[in-house]
Amino acid sequence: MSWYIGVDVGGTFTDFFAVDVENARFVVHKTPSTPGNPAEAILAGLDALSEREGIPGHAIGRLAHGTTVATNALIQRRGAPIALITTKGFRDLLEIGRQVRPKMYDLKADAQPPLVPRQHRFEVAERMDARGQPLTVLDDADIEAAIDQVEAAGAEACAVCLLFAFLNPAHEQRIGARLKERLPNIAISLSSAVQPEFREFERFSTTTLNAYLQPIVGRYMRHLGGELAKRAPRARLGINQSSGGLMSVERAAEFPVRTALSGPAAGAVGAAHVARTAGLPDVITLDMGGTSADVALIKGYEADVGYGREVAGFPVRLPVIDIHTIGAGGGSIAWFEKDGLLKVGPQSAGAVPGPACYGKGGTEPTVSDANLVLGRLSGSLIGGAMVLDLEASRTAIRPAAERLGLSVEKTAEGIIGIVTANMVRAIRTVSVERGHDPRRFALMPFGGAGALHAGDVARALDMKQIAVPPSPGILCAQGLVVSDLKEDFVGTQRLPFDAEHRDVLGAVIAPLVKDAQAWFEDEDVPKDRRRLRLAVDLRYVGQNFELTVPVAETHGEPPVLPAEEIVRGRFFEVHEQTYGHFTETDPIEAVNFRLTAFGVADSVPSPQVPEAEDSEPSEVGRRSVWFDGREHEARVFARDTLRPGHRFEGPAIVDQLDATTVIHPGDRVRVDDALNLIVEVAR
Amino acid sequence: MTDALSKPDPITIEIISNALQSVTDESFVALMKSAYSTNIKERHDHSTAVVDRNGRLVMQASMSIPIHLASMLGLMRKLLDKFPLDQIHEGDVFCANDPHVGGGTHLPDVNLAMPVFVEGELVGFVCNIAHHADIGGMSPGSMAGGMTEIYQEGLRIPLIKLFRRGVLDQDLFDILLLNVRVVEERRGDYNAQFAALRLADRRLREIIDREGVGTVTAVFDEIITRTRHRMKLAIGEIPDGVYHFADVMDDDGAGTEDIPIRLKTTIDGDRAVFDFTGTSPQVPGNVNIPLNGTIAAVCYVLKAMLDPEVPNNHGVIDAIEVIAPPGTMVSCVAPASVASRAHTSQRIVDVVIGSLAEALPDKVVGAANGANSMAIFSGLHPETGRPYVYLETLGGGFGGRDDRDGKDGVQVHITNTSNLPVEAIEMEYPLLVEEYGLIEDSGGAGTWRGGMGLRRVVRPIGHDCLFTGIGERFRNRPWGVFGARPGAAGRFLMQDDDGTETRLGTKPGDLVLRADQQAVVETPGSGGYGRPEHRSAEKLSEDWESGKFTAAYMKQWYGWEPPA
Repeated sequence: MSWYIGVDVGGTFTDFFAVDVENARFVVHKTPSTPGNPAEAILAGLDALSEREGIPGHAIGRLAHGTTVATNALIQRRGAPIALITTKGFRDLLEIGRQVRPKMYDLKADAQPPLVPRQHRFEVAERMDARGQPLTVLDDADIEAAIDQVEAAGAEACAVCLLFAFLNPAHEQRIGARLKERLPNIAISLSSAVQPEFREFERFSTTTLNAYLQPIVGRYMRHLGGELAKRAPRARLGINQSSGGLMSVERAAEFPVRTALSGPAAGAVGAAHVARTAGLPDVITLDMGGTSADVALIKGYEADVGYGREVAGFPVRLPVIDIHTIGAGGGSIAWFEKDGLLKVGPQSAGAVPGPACYGKGGTEPTVSDANLVLGRLSGSLIGGAMVLDLEASRTAIRPAAERLGLSVEKTAEGIIGIVTANMVRAIRTVSVERGHDPRRFALMPFGGAGALHAGDVARALDMKQIAVPPSPGILCAQGLVVSDLKEDFVGTQRLPFDAEHRDVLGAVIAPLVKDAQAWFEDEDVPKDRRRLRLAVDLRYVGQNFELTVPVAETHGEPPVLPAEEIVRGRFFEVHEQTYGHFTETDPIEAVNFRLTAFGVADSVPSPQVPEAEDSEPSEVGRRSVWFDGREHEARVFARDTLRPGHRFEGPAIVDQLDATTVIHPGDRVRVDDALNLIVEVAR
Repeated sequence: MTDALSKPDPITIEIISNALQSVTDESFVALMKSAYSTNIKERHDHSTAVVDRNGRLVMQASMSIPIHLASMLGLMRKLLDKFPLDQIHEGDVFCANDPHVGGGTHLPDVNLAMPVFVEGELVGFVCNIAHHADIGGMSPGSMAGGMTEIYQEGLRIPLIKLFRRGVLDQDLFDILLLNVRVVEERRGDYNAQFAALRLADRRLREIIDREGVGTVTAVFDEIITRTRHRMKLAIGEIPDGVYHFADVMDDDGAGTEDIPIRLKTTIDGDRAVFDFTGTSPQVPGNVNIPLNGTIAAVCYVLKAMLDPEVPNNHGVIDAIEVIAPPGTMVSCVAPASVASRAHTSQRIVDVVIGSLAEALPDKVVGAANGANSMAIFSGLHPETGRPYVYLETLGGGFGGRDDRDGKDGVQVHITNTSNLPVEAIEMEYPLLVEEYGLIEDSGGAGTWRGGMGLRRVVRPIGHDCLFTGIGERFRNRPWGVFGARPGAAGRFLMQDDDGTETRLGTKPGDLVLRADQQAVVETPGSGGYGRPEHRSAEKLSEDWESGKFTAAYMKQWYGWEPPA
């Protein structure tokens, strides 16, 4: 039972990170992904890894999985045919949405058409008022008629979305129960179960997405769960949620929408873990791969969680790690806009044909080609398994260079400069625009290409420190191994937040605590591993947006709402941080109550690596690398030879299996005890 | 990267443009977050910009709204006219809102500009505009109809120096605040605007420190020149010709009906001239629009039809010519009232698009709902006794396009503000939303049909409230192009529980709505594209199966009957 394994399914590779917690042994493994059925790569990779490392199936205690099944089904629209039952008078709500256009100036850009066509959206005469009292009581005959229609529509799943069901789910539950009796084979999503929060469009959209994904994700989970049970009968399988915690396979099948951003969230959790090993509580992450870059902000070793975003063009209202994605990756293509300015991305050469240097038929200049021309990327990747074609890169960049009247190298530097500017804007969005100063954060690059660009990005943002994790290419899988089990509960009740309403506030929290405790039991979370965190969404009376304010944390006991003035004080702090001001005298009100339950993961030992004997590592070679318009002779180090205590100065290149780190001239590097490279950026 | 004498290369321009975009975007967010007015916080009715020392717009925040282009322009022109360079100093803040003497487009939009100095030299300005929830005048919110002079609409601010060398002129500020409602909130809005200016100033100077003043100002020129060139190239692709178009607005809410907007568009090589001569003289009601507003509407259309990705800067304005005789509704002069100029702006957009239909058949779209439909419910909350005002602007149909149907129920063209959730309305106000949906048969028939209008039915709970509506295209329906049918007109109705129905005008003000009544707001649909008989069988069965169109409508306009 001593092995913990994290599996992250990416577009190209499925990554494994396995830890033998008793012997502090770490192994990594990569296998090509199988997009048709991602489980194939997981099972094949697991078999290969177990055989190679001699891991017996019964020794696997835990297997955590970041999945893209839901994301891909949404992007490719491969979900199930679904039906919707909703309140009379509101069947168009899902289609109208917020009545806005995605792009102000584009006459042809429309919001995504809803996942349920209008003819499969059925109304029932019923209505709850804003207090959750029935204005029109739902009639049994109406339920039967709606279910007849759902049946006739041939739906494989049905979303039930009624107004104010978050206050009183009785009508939704009656419909759900009857659906289950009459159509036992279809999946059911009730808005009061998926996300019982106010604002109907976002709740309906989230619920509809969930229904759409239930059949496909359910099949996947059952298959994977069954196969893994054969191989690792004692392992607990955890599925990563977009909020950065694990849930059981059963819950993932019931609430698949929660996995829509599973992969990137694992990266942020992994980064938070690495940040802890490096003793850097505040970092900004830069996860750059072949087609895109994800940036996220970690403060006090925790990733920022938001409560609403879009997935494949659909709004989802759920706790999600606040990740900002832009089209900037190694494969991003450089091109000329109509006004003659050079742009990079979001178009990407992807894995096929890939950058010109891959020699797979790509002819357009990409970021990787620019890095190769500048000597930043080495001529071979994956330990020599892939040789890069420098001449092909030069040929791809030359037409742009001629048009600009610049050398190929200058042009390559320009391409890097522009992709850096794009990433800088993304980082400013998650930091400056949320009230954080990036200069007070360390930059943590990962993914295949993050550490190639971290030096440029840190300089442009005036960041002083960069922390490169030991295995930047496998951080998501690593994050999965250290993830906690997590479940979010929410209740909406708009109430004045004052001493007078203290009892009512308590009454809203009580059922959430009850649900959380039932969840602890269901998931067998041992008593000493239980944590509860209570947060309240607060706002000034009259405002239409709220701020989530954490108010209490316990080891599983029911959290107690602190005194009113303490909570007010915290609200003011968050308001000041987010909006730059607060008013002490204005009345505030509570809108949502959020209780998060954690089953804290076993701690994972750190690798025991002996200290370096010399302070300076030995170089494996030298190569010429361009910085600031001229060539520098850079020392090249092999990452796997670096030991704690090693120190060196740039210009330098650190090569490893799946990532390259570029150290700019004057930057000083030390290797810390956890094998992170800590780079002090030269001024 | 480059010295001041040589032209910056396209890479440098791109990187500095990116940084300038961050200046405007970050100050946009800062303003949004620290302001008090719902218009700013929720509806993002504000803009930020960087302007060069000649008053030319270099960069606008990506979320800026089109009509604010006009106010930035107007403000800068007035500023440079009034203040010679030796009277502009570091730390000054200029302020204006008046459409007639201050370069604005309506009074609630308060426009600010701050000069940016580097080593004593003026390099440009940072500006912002915010729609304050109230600017005084006869009616709370300063937007209601029925007024015939600008004096009734609110406080008029000519171009003034509100800060002199970093010091607030408290006397002036006291006058501004004394004339508006909910003074504490307005003070907060002003402070948010001041803070956003200071942030933009600091960020712009950081960029100049890094890149050099010569490079950055050369990039200002390059950005504008390149955009102008890009627009000119696009205009050059439009077939030469003189194109005429006209449309009619329903009324001004003050007695003038069927108000014509006429346009002659001349395309000659890369010249594009938009001549509004022949348009109605300015009207007593508040639908007049100053010339800058008309220019902004024309710029919106050109950008949207020719090159949606073109940066929004002075190069777009430089690429076109607009002629509109002073004293007409589209180039109004004092003391015209202007609060509802957004409706007119929407109609100018329709007219410019209409004029280019023949020249750009694959870019043109059917007329959209042509309005900025507004419904306002106000009263005293029966439980708390406190006054409430619920204001909503509703979308409608967006016109049919050359390869797809119009969009149903959406904000169009120069407006893109979100609706308020039904659950938020009912938790906040003593109102019940009975229905919110698309109006059947409202999208004009065509090869590609027009988008559908919206219906919202609202009733007060346990009290009487007041209903005010501002509508357009209730009589003059949104036209289709190339043989397509027009979309349905909008309407306001008052329905009693006993079945009595009263049809209201386009701009009803403060009507009593009883607890046993409901107000029905129906926004216009939109025109289709192409002859109905060419609509595909597949699209026809979609119209039928979706239930968006009745058998009667489909028989009448398509000669189509449902399968037996």
